[in-house]
Amino acid sequence: MAVLACAILFAASTRAQAHGFEGDRFFPPTVSTDDPFATDEYSVTFQEFNNPSGSDGTPMTHEIDVNSEFDKEIFPKFALGVAGTYINLDPSNHQGPAQDGFDNVSLSAKYQLWESAVHEWILSIGGEVDLGDTGSKALGVESFTTYTPTVYFGKGFGDLPESLAPLKPFALTGTVGVSIPAQSQNQDGSYNSDTLQLGFALEYSIPYLQQHVKDLGLPKPLSDMIPLVEFTSSSPFDRSGSPTTGTVCPGILWEQADYQLGAEALIPINAHTGPNVGFVFQVQFFIDDLFPKVFGHPVFGHDEDSNTRSAQP
Amino acid sequence: MKLFYVSFLLIVVASAHASAHAFLDYSEPAVGATLSAPPAQVKIWFTEKLHHATSTIQVFDAAGREVDKKDVKFDPKNELEMGVSLGNLPPGTYKVVWNAVAIDTHHTHGTFEFTVR
Repeated sequence: MAVLACAILFAASTRAQAHGFEGDRFFPPTVSTDDPFATDEYSVTFQEFNNPSGSDGTPMTHEIDVNSEFDKEIFPKFALGVAGTYINLDPSNHQGPAQDGFDNVSLSAKYQLWESAVHEWILSIGGEVDLGDTGSKALGVESFTTYTPTVYFGKGFGDLPESLAPLKPFALTGTVGVSIPAQSQNQDGSYNSDTLQLGFALEYSIPYLQQHVKDLGLPKPLSDMIPLVEFTSSSPFDRSGSPTTGTVCPGILWEQADYQLGAEALIPINAHTGPNVGFVFQVQFFIDDLFPKVFGHPVFGHDEDSNTRSAQP
Repeated sequence: MKLFYVSFLLIVVASAHASAHAFLDYSEPAVGATLSAPPAQVKIWFTEKLHHATSTIQVFDAAGREVDKKDVKFDPKNELEMGVSLGNLPPGTYKVVWNAVAIDTHHTHGTFEFTVR
């Protein structure tokens, strides 16, 4: 414990650099997909949508999720995270009692493997472990653990030629993962599939436009906004024969000094995903700004400032 | 739901005492500006107060030569402002490279260009 306390104090005395920077680019944390940076983060997400009725006669359910996630950089470029979600399920037309409780606890790890400040590139590896049977049994949470190794990437387009300058504020981030359940078959004989998990976010940063490309004199709050479209999909590989589900999520991020607000529509890509459009709202706290003596530094070691540029143009 | 509202309350309370990363607010010349006459200096106004000893501005021509006078200065009346003097610049495109360390040690960098006709 004393060693940990000393490490935190030592780290706090060094120069602070968290957030997701690559060169001139700030990659904002996105709402529906994970960003590629292993930094200190804390977010709260509120999500509301409808689940489709099942082929076995289960009714459509209205679902409200409140998710909280905390990530901490432990070593330079390596972070661990923990997340929990409180779920409320309400069958439509009162065809059953409402259920609520916590979903399984999720743990995560991420390492920034390769970066290029000049080309605003980052590639990270990591994944999540969804711990089986740690949530509310009333919700029917999975009794088995699921592992999801994931590759994360981000690319800003600030290195485009000057003739394409208006496109420089664009950036793309994404995740490619495979969910692998520890238990392939349930007691009732049904199967649990390995599942391909994809997520992409295409964003246009107005702050980047104003600060690095062309100051158009846009007023606040417009100058602090990042419109984006996210896409998520989940495609079972084998065994269960379940269909692909996913969402297209147009929305907007609003950057402030210490926090970021995000709002998106959740548009189902097919009837298997949901019967109508849902909604998600997120508050991302920049805890390295809020508590700079505690966050914004790895617990052990120093951050090599990837954004540092020598005195060359 | 309580967690959601409690978190909102926490952020509001914490924000009242927080500092943050220093980002470019605006500059003279403006980001991406095209000027008919060479500027005598580059000034940048940031979103946070700066640590003077470690914050810098440099200006380079298209060949990569530093063309500023290496006299980075801060306005004592405005702690958000940092500037550097320039020589008599010939027509061309120039790149401004800034490094800003906020007083709470948060470190940010950035570049932008301006053109003199």
